[in-house]
Amino acid sequence: MSRFFFLVKEALTNLRRNALVVAGAVLAVFISLSLAFGALVVNEVLRVNTIAWQDGVHVIAFLNDEGTAGVPPGSHQTLIGAVETWDEVERVDYYDKNDAWIEYQQIFEGQDDLLDIDPTILPASVRIELVEIEFHQSVQFRLEQQTPVVRQVNTAAEEIEQLENLSSVLNVLGLGMAIVLGMSAVVLIANTIRLAIYARRDEVAVMKLVGASNWFIRVPFLLEGMIEGMLGAALAVFTVWLGSSRLAEATQSFALFRLDVANQFFFRWGLLFLLFGAAAGVIGSLLGLSRYLRDAEGVGEDVPAGV
Amino acid sequence: MIRLENVTKVYEGGTIAANDVTLEIQKGEFVFLVGASGSGKSTLIRLMLRDEPVTRGRIWVAGKDITTLPKWKIPYLRRSVGTVFQDYKLLPNKTVSENVAFALEVLGRPSSAIKPQVEQVLDLVGLSDKGDRYPRQLSGGEQQRVSVARAFVNRPPIMLCDEPTGNLDPKTSVGIMKLLDRINRTGTTIVMATHDHAIVDAMKRRVVALEEGLVTRDELAAGYEQRVPE
Ligand SMILES: Nc1ncnc2c1ncn2[C@@H]1O[C@H](COP(=O)(O)OP(=O)(O)OP(=O)(O)O)[C@@H](O)[C@H]1O
Ligand SMILES: [Mg+2]
Repeated sequence: MSRFFFLVKEALTNLRRNALVVAGAVLAVFISLSLAFGALVVNEVLRVNTIAWQDGVHVIAFLNDEGTAGVPPGSHQTLIGAVETWDEVERVDYYDKNDAWIEYQQIFEGQDDLLDIDPTILPASVRIELVEIEFHQSVQFRLEQQTPVVRQVNTAAEEIEQLENLSSVLNVLGLGMAIVLGMSAVVLIANTIRLAIYARRDEVAVMKLVGASNWFIRVPFLLEGMIEGMLGAALAVFTVWLGSSRLAEATQSFALFRLDVANQFFFRWGLLFLLFGAAAGVIGSLLGLSRYLRDAEGVGEDVPAGV
Repeated sequence: MIRLENVTKVYEGGTIAANDVTLEIQKGEFVFLVGASGSGKSTLIRLMLRDEPVTRGRIWVAGKDITTLPKWKIPYLRRSVGTVFQDYKLLPNKTVSENVAFALEVLGRPSSAIKPQVEQVLDLVGLSDKGDRYPRQLSGGEQQRVSVARAFVNRPPIMLCDEPTGNLDPKTSVGIMKLLDRINRTGTTIVMATHDHAIVDAMKRRVVALEEGLVTRDELAAGYEQRVPE
């Protein structure tokens, strides 16, 4: 027990007394894991947005006013009743002329010249969310059959489909990037810590000479590597979280593309990255130490010829 | 205490640094290893520490055949042998006290037991007031005394010294030799490799002379050079 305390104390003292080398190692972890974590967050943003697009309104049918030619009162409700029964349709919302005016005012808020119109020219509409985005063509076709109630059909489905395709490509890219960056982070961290141990190889030799067992030498180095890895990872997670939430705040007004990522995401992946950093630090220490801990055989294996 | 039996060491590249060396050192002896540079003094010491493998032959240290010692037992060998080297081999990031204490930490001693032992041995080497200094803040002679303190703190039966005065001026060297002599008088077996004629001549102890790995002389109460027959 006293030995364990000694080794922990040893690691902490070494961290303090080798501040410069430690700072270098932490920086290496920080930079490489920031990149990997950043890629992961970008990936998450894309995923969230793809889902958001999928959930939105996909098709809008503008309607002719009730009471005009061929559109008797109540025909809007009849249309809605019919559309609701279609298999392709997830949800139908009815916007009457009043809702249209409210929305119009919101969109053009502050632009007085545009607001100076006769509200009654704005048509009522039905807004349709599809079960699957792929159904947009058939729904558009079926709506266009509903003359004269339906005046015009608009759909963003094609654009959404393209975005979705793009986003799945970006998703794969982002994930691939996070993996590649993560792997290079391990190599970089391991190497940095190996170098730090290389700088202290004479100390390892002295410890062995005084009779320290390999584990006695190893444990403080492992703890040091672990702490450096975790410190760097924590900094990386925190920085990316801060950057991402600031960015999300600043771009809140873009309704189309949401940049905010759930804190839960940061928590879950942040923990994983901490473990990742710690593991990389430990691996680096083990690799860095192994050659300086080697012991001599009792008797040389290969006796040179002629002796 | 130490026995070498037909020990041969051939380094990679073919240098024969120890050539069929047979040597027996009794408990409590003080033995000088002398010889020209490259004669194999350091090599013998490294072999006794199992820092290098022998090519042929056997070595017993403190009753154990160290040539058949499994690797995981090497730390136990090192704990029963104190070492002092020309370049002190102190840990630069540890204070004097911590350097000395380290030899006890590896034994797993509780810190309550370590503290008084460290103080006692620092007192013995005359450095009780410099325990909190770092090695770089000490003179060479002082650093070497720390090294002696660390080698002796756990009272090993054997101390191996490779040119412990090699970097020191004659006066400082005498101080170190007095220390080693005192330690030897407590019953500790000491083997010391050296170039220093004056020290060997003054101490009048057993001298083992080496030439190209061969033992050419082994004499009790001797000087650095062979006595000229009268
Ligand atoms: N690791 C090594 N690999 C190859 N040859 C070595 C090695 N160490 C020592 N030698 C050779 O072995 C011979 C004996 O070296 P050793 O260091 O034992 O001499 P020494 O008596 O201690 O010399 P010095 O008085 O200069 O310290 C020398 O010729 C040296 O070049
Ligand atoms: Mg030598």
